[in-house]
Amino acid sequence: MLTDIYEVNKALFEDGVQTVLRAQENRYRTVSILKGNLVNNSRRESRGVSALVGKEGLYGFASIAECSDEAAKKVLKSASENAKLMARHAGNKGIVLPPSYGTGLVPTNGDIVDAEQKKIIDACRKMDDYIAQKYPNLESRSIYYSEDSQDRIIYSSDAYDGHLVTPRTCMYVGMSLKTKDGTPVECYKGLGGFGNFEDNFADVEQYYPELEKLYKKVKDKSEGVYAEAGYKTVVLGGDMGGMLAHEAVGHTVEADLVMGGSVAGPNLGKKVASELVTLVDFAHTYNGERAPLPVYLDDEGIKAEDAVLIKDGILTGYMNNRETAEKFGMKPTGNARGWAFCDEPLIRMRNTCILPGKNTVEELIESVDDGYYLINSGNGQADLTGEFMFSVVCGYEIKNGKIGRALLDTTVSGIAFDMLKTVDMVSNEVEWTGCGWCGKKQQMAVGMGGPHMRCKIMIGGR
Amino acid sequence: MSEMREVADLFDNILIDKKIDKYTYVLVESEKQELNAQNGEFKLMRTVFDYYTSLTVFKDNKMGSASGNDLSKDALVKLAEDGLTASESSPEDPCHDIAPDQGKEVFRQGPYEPDMDKFIERIQECLDSIKKEYPKVNVMAAVGSYDKSHWISRNTNGTEFEDFSGHYNFFFEISAREDDKTSGFGWAGVTVDDLDTPFIDRGNLRQSLEDISNSIHTKSIDGKFEGTVILTPGAASNFLGMLISHYMSDGVIIDGTSLWLDKVGEKVASDKLTVSKKPFDDRIVGGERGTQDGFRAEDVTLIENGVLKTHSLSLYAANKTGRPVVKNTGWSLVVEPGDKPLSEIIKSVDKGLIMGGFSGGEPGTNGDFSGVAKNSFFVENGEIKYALSETMVNGNLGEIVKNIRDISKELVCNGNSVVPYIAVDGVVISGK
Repeated sequence: MLTDIYEVNKALFEDGVQTVLRAQENRYRTVSILKGNLVNNSRRESRGVSALVGKEGLYGFASIAECSDEAAKKVLKSASENAKLMARHAGNKGIVLPPSYGTGLVPTNGDIVDAEQKKIIDACRKMDDYIAQKYPNLESRSIYYSEDSQDRIIYSSDAYDGHLVTPRTCMYVGMSLKTKDGTPVECYKGLGGFGNFEDNFADVEQYYPELEKLYKKVKDKSEGVYAEAGYKTVVLGGDMGGMLAHEAVGHTVEADLVMGGSVAGPNLGKKVASELVTLVDFAHTYNGERAPLPVYLDDEGIKAEDAVLIKDGILTGYMNNRETAEKFGMKPTGNARGWAFCDEPLIRMRNTCILPGKNTVEELIESVDDGYYLINSGNGQADLTGEFMFSVVCGYEIKNGKIGRALLDTTVSGIAFDMLKTVDMVSNEVEWTGCGWCGKKQQMAVGMGGPHMRCKIMIGGR
Repeated sequence: MSEMREVADLFDNILIDKKIDKYTYVLVESEKQELNAQNGEFKLMRTVFDYYTSLTVFKDNKMGSASGNDLSKDALVKLAEDGLTASESSPEDPCHDIAPDQGKEVFRQGPYEPDMDKFIERIQECLDSIKKEYPKVNVMAAVGSYDKSHWISRNTNGTEFEDFSGHYNFFFEISAREDDKTSGFGWAGVTVDDLDTPFIDRGNLRQSLEDISNSIHTKSIDGKFEGTVILTPGAASNFLGMLISHYMSDGVIIDGTSLWLDKVGEKVASDKLTVSKKPFDDRIVGGERGTQDGFRAEDVTLIENGVLKTHSLSLYAANKTGRPVVKNTGWSLVVEPGDKPLSEIIKSVDKGLIMGGFSGGEPGTNGDFSGVAKNSFFVENGEIKYALSETMVNGNLGEIVKNIRDISKELVCNGNSVVPYIAVDGVVISGK
């Protein structure tokens, strides 16, 4: 863990400006095995200190790849000079922030424990050997292990200080089979999430049942059919529900995108979804338990709280940084986050989730005469207008309330606030993943989750 | 930055002390000065001083890598130990290797000292021009950065590359608004090594501003049909990137799932298509000079007049599969132009799209793609009719490169690629 040596530098904070000093280490461990061949085997650390200085809505940011008292002094000076440079060139000044949203100390929430590379490789090879032996007819198989842990110390001039650690270790398993006509199809599964190697992968045998499910999916897919393109009734699985929460809605209610003209701007306080839909960006706790990727304090020194974005179908709020919160008359809830020491904080999601409803998954599927059950998504994107797209890498037909043939890869799309109004059944449990990524100038680890939902959506096909 | 060579000498000694007799490493010192504007106004100035160190150790046919961002002696000792530990943990695989001796060479690209006053003027000029000439456009975010780096790469076969490079990047994300109606995102960017020309006149910045201004009022098309899609240079780059990844790159050749596994020397695409990666092309800024395998980078043609000339394989994949290595691990995409102007190509289209962006799932190795046509316009009877929303496109990567009907004579050079408009037939287009 980083050593906390920076408090003394608070004396160097300039009067009359808002300052955040951050020391950070990101730790990466990667092992990749492709069809039995170790193709990637690497360890990386990135460490440094940064300062963010803001005055009258203009900001200076500076970072140095060094964690020392001297480096802290340098970045404070350089960030201050950058803010002054902005003041010389900016035509309009921004918003003057209120003096404080509360001060205090957020205590350290854990530790990052390193694992020997050999242990990681051994765990990956054990998984790979098991798959090779158990499923010998696979065309190809892959194991990709990734650790991307963060350790941050934050000192702010007028907000909270804290020392936060976020260990994350994931293993992505891929299986490939050929269809009858010889074209390959794949399915993937992400395992793990928050936690150190020992927390998640000391016993990989716990994941064997997941491998069995994955094999069934890829086997079904190898006999799959193209979806029929068009506007269809579907049951979205929890993984797809999480993608919907993040991509289709989450991005449009990030306040910087609202300022850029997103569809959420004119819809605040209005009905944007079925009354069955409540969407929350959880800070660190869900239903009394740790959320997939807990955030206790953001990189502006704001103590993290949940952001309720849609309540019973009504758009109720945005995700903010300090400045946008002031602009929109909202309270910042700790969404300003930077990925590496050299990254300035941007408005980012944390654990974005549509809350569960009352139906069982079986009830949702039985209710569909002719439609699709869409289980897993590979990636997703959304636009300012709320037009979204998710890839569907695992799905099935539903015929007369029964699961039918598997689907080949396809895509669903729609306009978020139109599509959410078609949600008419929501299942009573939530599926979470802590292995997610989001790209927005910088990458960011995110958690997302959702229940099963019945809705209407555009699906691509042949 | 003059101390880098001394640091490299120190690192060599550390590696020798650790009795590591086969390795390759790169040491990088970098600096970024970045100006950020939001909603058309300057907002944040960011400077980043960083290092990057990366070591790959080969021991008894075992390979392991370690990297960091600290040039101190203690950090380099730890890097050597981590690299050694990683290699010792690895299974034996003699296919992991480094390039034979390429000699010693120093590369210099672009301005090594920035003209920040001129750079800020050019950014301000661009923002002012947009306000004046494209009043419906909101520049949601504009990022201009000057990036410079100095790196040294050495390996135990004797190669030493040293590189000094600097360049300017400018990128914007835009939307357009009329009354209460807003368009979707648009974006464009360039990498340049001079500030002689206003940014708005470089790459496809002006075209992107025109397009977003015309994308406020959109419609979905009716029904479903198989039609022609004119890929803009940005969309064409995206599709060709997916084609290279899913048909020609390490993973799909090693595991044998590429549909072009045994197609080298055969016709795989329209004879109109020639695709290269050319880091030494004059229109490319900051092209690759030393590959990740330790080769001196070379220009390489992947597809020539529709014939697959080579897969795009690293040294490991080449050793693993017994196929030739490609001495090029960068991008620098160059696609040869056709002889028709874009306007003539549009006139020849009965029914289809001009597609500026593709928002879709990553295709599988079978090449099937499915997604939403973004920043796109409906074309009918040779005329652009209206901007599109909620319109999906489906097809297959391997098929569309066979179905190229035309390639434009116009090229867009953004510093990272040189690509024309490419019109392809046989794409299924469906509306709501």
